[in-house]
Amino acid sequence: MSAIEISQLAKSFGPVKAVDGVSFTVEAGTITGYLGPNGAGKTTTLRCLLGLVTADAGTALVNGVPYPQLKQPLAAVGAVLEATNFHPGRTAINHLRILCTAAGLPQQRAAEALEQVGLADVASKRVSGFSMGMRQRLGLAGALIGHPEVFILDEPANGLDPSGIQWLRGFLKHLAHERGAAVLVSSHVLAEVEQTVDNVVIIAKGRLVRQGTLAELTRNGDAPLRVRSLDPQTLGPALERAGGAVEPLDDGALRVRGLAAERVGEVVLAEQVVLTELVQERTDLQRVFLELTEETS
Amino acid sequence: MKLVRAELLKLFTTHLWWIMLVVVLSYLTLSLGLVIGFAGLEQNGVSVFPARDTPEFQRVAWEQSISGSILVAILGATMMTTEFRYQTITSTFLTTPRRARVVAAKLGAGVLVGLIFGLAILVLFAVGIVPAVLLSGGDLLITEGGIPRILGGVLAALVLYTLFGIGIGALLRNQIAAIVTVAVWMFVLEPIVNAIPQLQVVGAWTPAGAARSLTNSGVDVGQMGLDYLLPAWGGALVLLGYAAVFGLLASATTLRRDIT
Repeated sequence: MSAIEISQLAKSFGPVKAVDGVSFTVEAGTITGYLGPNGAGKTTTLRCLLGLVTADAGTALVNGVPYPQLKQPLAAVGAVLEATNFHPGRTAINHLRILCTAAGLPQQRAAEALEQVGLADVASKRVSGFSMGMRQRLGLAGALIGHPEVFILDEPANGLDPSGIQWLRGFLKHLAHERGAAVLVSSHVLAEVEQTVDNVVIIAKGRLVRQGTLAELTRNGDAPLRVRSLDPQTLGPALERAGGAVEPLDDGALRVRGLAAERVGEVVLAEQVVLTELVQERTDLQRVFLELTEETS
Repeated sequence: MKLVRAELLKLFTTHLWWIMLVVVLSYLTLSLGLVIGFAGLEQNGVSVFPARDTPEFQRVAWEQSISGSILVAILGATMMTTEFRYQTITSTFLTTPRRARVVAAKLGAGVLVGLIFGLAILVLFAVGIVPAVLLSGGDLLITEGGIPRILGGVLAALVLYTLFGIGIGALLRNQIAAIVTVAVWMFVLEPIVNAIPQLQVVGAWTPAGAARSLTNSGVDVGQMGLDYLLPAWGGALVLLGYAAVFGLLASATTLRRDIT
């Protein structure tokens, strides 16, 4: 049984198909990045999974059951949705105490969870004075409170500063790889999660477009090279003779497929042209993601 | 039970409850002052307000305390709608995915909140009425003259109005809409149907009419007849019914909606 199991999930808001037949699973001990541009259906998927939104079709299970049927939801799942779900006049510790009380957890969990996310010194401060990053941390504290084995985080890096993002990465890795939790984290910024996730699911306009392990999606084998020289008229035909497929780009550089970087270097040396740039273009994952983002924006 | 405690914690960890308490007590201090101040007032030789040394005075004065009900109804509506205003409903429903339980817990907490407000109001009135009666040489009524009935009725009405507000809040979700609805209902609709004789058939079944029947001591102030009212137990059932119907209706309709 997978920790999270989404199967043929569909949800429309009026005429808009927000989620359209999405299926994927998340296993214990792994981090899955749920990626897509804004409005792709990520949040709706997560809210269906958490029982906040009723799906039109398909199933979304946590530990094999729909979320509303979990006996102790906070002990099974830690969820962080937007960072705005707090009463501004309530203190951080009181927000967590309410969760503890309602979930029947010991009250000291509130202080422990604040400690864990580094908010212990503002425990008695009202949330209205909190920055976005502090709210994200407070949300995360709420998710940790019941010692769950499954984490569902919607854009947790939003509003975090670079050091906060660094901290979040380490924290998610700790949860998944050391404590064996299943982590599902959504983001519209690939770079935020690229270094953290084990698996990637990409969604656009409500439909799954790509999924696999990070290794599968970032394999560089067929990524083209970008070659710029002072004499493309000489270099281009020479590279073609060496077996490459050459495509001149608008900015005067050449896009070369089918040749390894060292082979290009040899051709450059043989032709005696001055080389100004030789780089591997974006990986498959980056390219897919960028294409999707550009398409929809 | 833990959910009721969580609901009380929600209320008492923000400012609103004591602001409302201060507002209620200030407002009632004003109306209590008027009752005591105008006691014994006569117009053209006819008594308009009973004098301070009469049993009628004590009944009329105690009965004024029920006008705190509008504010507890608004507090009740706010207890529910605040969750939607600040989207705390998301974490509430994540913690308790069975949404009807959340409504039930809020109603349970509402009983306690209504009692606390009711007791605070009655203490305020005791502080005003007892010296007023004793200083004017009247006999203080405690267990006779319909006073226990009035005090019990006020407490019950305040509790039930809190629940009424929670029910409306659950049904409407929007804070402003809920408060305006409560205010229009209680300041405009209810006075009309309880004042116009032809409409009193309806009026008896409104929360105001039902609450009046709880405290009805038989003293008639002004020209308004009170014969149209339901018996006290009927009034209590009607008020409870409103809260139950709104709560159930809300659980079955608005609260099922997607939280996006």
